[in-house]
Amino acid sequence: MPLVNNKVGDDCTVGTDKALADGKALVDSLIKVVACYRHLASCVGSCTDSLQLRDELRQTREKAQNLAVSICQHLTSHLRDKSLPEEQRKEMELLWVAFSSGLELLHVDMCKVFSMGDIFSLANSASLVQTGLQGGGSEVAARALSLPDLNQARAPEAGLESQERSTMEQEISQIDHMIDDMEMKVNVLRWMVEPHGPQYADPLSSTDSASLALLSVDEEQPGHQPQSQHSHMVVFVVLFAVVLVATTLSVCVVFFS
Amino acid sequence: MEKVIVAMQDPDMGMKMRNQRLLITVIPHAMTGRDVIDWLIQKYNICEEEALHVGGMLVRYGYIYPLKEPRSLVLRADETPYRFQTPYFWTSTRWPASELDYAIYLAKKNIRKQGELMEYEKERYSLLHKRINHTWDFVVMQAREQLRASKQRRKADRIVLECQEQAYWLINRPPVRSLTLHYSLTLCVCVCVCVCVCTCVFCLCLQIESCRRALGRNRVKSSICLEGFVKFSEQYQNHDPIMQGCLPSNPWISDDTAHWTMNSEIVPVPTRLRVERWSFSFMELLNDPIGRREFMTYLEKEFSAENLCFWQACEDIRHGESSKIIQKVEDVYKNFLAPGAARWVNIDSKTMDKTLEGIKHPHRFVMDDAQLHIYFLMKKDSYPRYLKSDLYKNMLAKAIVPQETKKSVFPFMRRQRHSSPSPAQAVTQVTEEDGRAMGAGKAGTNSAFSLFIVSSLTESKPELTFSLLQHFFLFPSVALISNPLSRM
Repeated sequence: MPLVNNKVGDDCTVGTDKALADGKALVDSLIKVVACYRHLASCVGSCTDSLQLRDELRQTREKAQNLAVSICQHLTSHLRDKSLPEEQRKEMELLWVAFSSGLELLHVDMCKVFSMGDIFSLANSASLVQTGLQGGGSEVAARALSLPDLNQARAPEAGLESQERSTMEQEISQIDHMIDDMEMKVNVLRWMVEPHGPQYADPLSSTDSASLALLSVDEEQPGHQPQSQHSHMVVFVVLFAVVLVATTLSVCVVFFS
Repeated sequence: MEKVIVAMQDPDMGMKMRNQRLLITVIPHAMTGRDVIDWLIQKYNICEEEALHVGGMLVRYGYIYPLKEPRSLVLRADETPYRFQTPYFWTSTRWPASELDYAIYLAKKNIRKQGELMEYEKERYSLLHKRINHTWDFVVMQAREQLRASKQRRKADRIVLECQEQAYWLINRPPVRSLTLHYSLTLCVCVCVCVCVCTCVFCLCLQIESCRRALGRNRVKSSICLEGFVKFSEQYQNHDPIMQGCLPSNPWISDDTAHWTMNSEIVPVPTRLRVERWSFSFMELLNDPIGRREFMTYLEKEFSAENLCFWQACEDIRHGESSKIIQKVEDVYKNFLAPGAARWVNIDSKTMDKTLEGIKHPHRFVMDDAQLHIYFLMKKDSYPRYLKSDLYKNMLAKAIVPQETKKSVFPFMRRQRHSSPSPAQAVTQVTEEDGRAMGAGKAGTNSAFSLFIVSSLTESKPELTFSLLQHFFLFPSVALISNPLSRM
């Protein structure tokens, strides 16, 4: 009898553990998609704006929305379950907070893209702002959609712009409603949620950070460059002097022995 | 400004673009300050100074950002390179820069290179960490993902994107500059650091201005304020219908409107309390119609009635219809101010000149200075003499003191003088005893709230405070029943 009970208990926790892992994976992918969407959104209105970019934006947005809907259902169903054990509930609440923040960012980005699409219509490409960007965002979109390579054969059609705008309006209001609903249905006390990570995050892998750091040195602190060059020069001179001394000594040794 | 920027993009008539060269990478779409100014001059036919101003605004509001020294947001009319900001980062009040965004940006900057955050950025970072702690995991993960997404682009694009974001945040969260003024600016700096929602450099300047103004404001010590308050409450103690009860009876309770009829505006014989109030302040006398009439009679005896007439006329102008102002000002001038007028008032020359100047363009408040002058004249001169005069004393003697209505025959129906059996009654004896014991003298009256404050401020009398706290709630309802107490 006790064995059977334990089994039942294990199954329960295993179930919620799996649910937690699922939720975490979903939220992670939503964060990734939101980051990519923001990245693409910052190119709207600039010289790299094109039908392709808009199409990529649309695809990323749809993916984000599907993810959002599924996470919403998943989390609300679990958080409204009263029998959830305490640690699981804490983890769920963390996920919930992350989800709502991600949704906020997505909502703001969508509104911005919507209004900028209004101002910078692709028909008048002469008015696009020349910001210095050269490449497109296809790789970013590919990353968002988790595809190895974006299917270039699907050329976007012109004339879908107006349709796209009305769908966008609907989507924005849908996200609005989702946010409201969530607040209504699930009562998460934000001040009780404690994050796991430290205040200062560890840097990314060394190669990434090094290359980006170099760029920032290039751009932001040109003053420092002559200084480092100066130190390089000093090192060279010292080495050269040492080599010179060594050769003269060896010559002397050879000469006098 | 946005239209200007869009006009600059025109491929034929727009800005001349150059390339920015950084070691190996070449980034297009850079322009020099000189280019910007020349284009503005040519396009809008303005002078160089104006072009400099407009260009400076473009930089200050973030539509163009400098490439060499990103923290100095000025437009230099030389070879310093600038670039356009992407529309996503244009200043907009519809989507203000949120704390979450700023936290993500700082986290990104920190992850990219440890220790790259400046001092003020580190402070803000820890502040944000405290404030939006619950979503910190999200912040760090989002920062990482954004960095990974940007890795997908080529190097030149990455540099441009970083510069754009940096410029955006330099405008929306400007660095706190250390200035050399003293108290007001340390205050401002504290305010800026603590309240992370500062917007542009302009707001800092505005804050500095308002702090300076606040320092220069006139202040009155709170003890002096409260002494005045105590004196006022003592003086009006007996005139307060809630504290003293109203005679003959409280109309709200007894349904007898005798109190109101006796105290109405024009009455053949005023009540004693009312006449006593005339001696409290000049404004009390003037606000009471009977008092004003009496005062006028007195002044006529003294042959200085024109002062009061002038004052009344000025009040009429101030509070009367706008359409009649000009006419009224004319009349006043003719009757009171013109040389050789029938009732010429004695005003000093400076005020007279100013008023005469103002009459040329009459408005509601032209007579204010003259009116004030005459008011003080009457207050200092005629008013004290009136209070000592026989006229006033007779009035006081004649004034009636209404009898309290007798309690009705039925034992069950008690007509109460007070609105409720107030704790004021019960505690009066206690406080009077204490007051006498402590030698506080006049402080043992029922002005509860003021006493509470004064006692805690001047001498600490903890025994009094508890009993006086009970008075606290009576005081605000002072002016409920009778005429409102006029100002001191």
